[in-house]
Amino acid sequence: MTAAGRPGVGARRATLLVLPAVVPVVVVVGAALTSAALLSLGLTPLVGRPELSLDAWRATELGTSIRLSLAIAAGATAVATVVGLFLALAVTAGARRSRLLATLSSLTIPVPHLVGAAAMGLLLADAGFLPRLLGIAPADWPALVGGRWWIAVGAEYAWKESAFIALVVAGALSSRVASYTETAALLGAGRWARFRHVTLPLAAPALGASAAVSFVYTLGSYEVAALLGRPSPEPLPVLAVRLFTSIDLAARPQAAAVAVTTSALGLVAVLVSLRSLRRLAAEQ
Amino acid sequence: MLVSRLGRGALAVWLVLPLVPLLLWAAADRWSAPALLPQAWGTTGLAEARAAGAGPAAVRSAVLGTAVAVLATPLGALAGRALTSGALRAPGLVFAVLLSPLVLPPFAVALGLDVLLLRLRVPAEVGLVLLLTVAAIPYTTVVMRAAYAAHDRHHDEEARLLGASAWQVVRSVHLPLLAPAVAGAAFLAFLVGWSDYVVTLLVGGGRLVTLPLLVGAAASATGNDAQVAVLALSAVLPPVALLVVIGSIGRRARR
Repeated sequence: MTAAGRPGVGARRATLLVLPAVVPVVVVVGAALTSAALLSLGLTPLVGRPELSLDAWRATELGTSIRLSLAIAAGATAVATVVGLFLALAVTAGARRSRLLATLSSLTIPVPHLVGAAAMGLLLADAGFLPRLLGIAPADWPALVGGRWWIAVGAEYAWKESAFIALVVAGALSSRVASYTETAALLGAGRWARFRHVTLPLAAPALGASAAVSFVYTLGSYEVAALLGRPSPEPLPVLAVRLFTSIDLAARPQAAAVAVTTSALGLVAVLVSLRSLRRLAAEQ
Repeated sequence: MLVSRLGRGALAVWLVLPLVPLLLWAAADRWSAPALLPQAWGTTGLAEARAAGAGPAAVRSAVLGTAVAVLATPLGALAGRALTSGALRAPGLVFAVLLSPLVLPPFAVALGLDVLLLRLRVPAEVGLVLLLTVAAIPYTTVVMRAAYAAHDRHHDEEARLLGASAWQVVRSVHLPLLAPAVAGAAFLAFLVGWSDYVVTLLVGGGRLVTLPLLVGAAASATGNDAQVAVLALSAVLPPVALLVVIGSIGRRARR
């Protein structure tokens, strides 16, 4: 494609058009990351003399928080991916009921995660709606909110992100899946074979990409774990915000170290998933 | 197909169940365990939410969301046009840069920039709008890039042949044809500002009280479930209403 024959947009004009968006993104993202990195290395203290040190990196228990954050993000994303795929299949099936399911699914999208967390609290707490529905006394209900296994936190992310994954995957499937599956059925493919060899390969790129987005989002999200999690150990965002808002100014470099770590993890996750998505595209 | 009727039912329950206690609690005056439904219905939750300042907080959230939408939508539209023009150098790299705020945790960006904003004496409100606009640019860019990619440029050429100026092409050809996409992009950007919690908490330092901050404060206390439910619902219903309006704009445009 060249600019020839296109009215108006030349190379210089295209650059001018894109700059108003690129400049604030580069300035904000660049300045924020640089500032966090410098702060974590002791080079921009709020009080005292700047001095290069790794104290902030040594002082925080990063290892535990990294493992916890990765586990929550992986667990929630796994559930969201499976449920999201089935939701997408049900929505694109073309039955009359799939309209209703599509509406319900799209209504979940504008619900903020914070509201989802409040709702999950009312649903899963020991006097919540679910134990009442199942007729289980509060004393016998497992600690899903604030408990050992972060169930309520994982459930909230899985719930919200499954609708997001379904939206993306249904978009990718809707235009093509019906005709391909019909052809496969005419050729004698069974239900499972059609799913395995037609639907799944068609859905895979969108499924992988949306799962990666929701993993990275969950990894860096604060409010759900802060509301529904237990006080200790803390996932990375909760640790960072607590350190940053503490009255102890010496904790700020530690908060910055946690922020840099979380950003780096997110970046690595994106690069890894981009690579595997590319390999997937090459295989198909 | 593969998803049976039973599976469909299970999926519907999965989507709806978390919102049921929210709706019930919002209208409950008294609902102690183990009763399945509230013992007394009423507007205690609403009264408590209003007393907590839900009204002014909702106005602040709406202003924040609108400011973000007003800034991020045209920036995304310009970028989307440039990215699909075929004239941009390294469009892949530019697109990756514009998507980068999606990868970075909002708390990390807010935390890093907060120190800088303090040093540069930028007012918290200005810093907040700037940060959230940057967070919204990936969404508006993706939507407008897709819309411009599907836009038939012959319309532009015809309009130019008929003597329209470049600005007239934008106003009389692009805007009407791309209206559904512009509305969608603006909605997503509005949502970024409307529903933000952690960036407002960190940059606003707790002084700028938006609706999500009220929801967060109420939800971390105990024994006020009706108030939590009303606050949470008032954070959800306006965007849902907006979504319905935008959906109808889209349907009208397709007709």
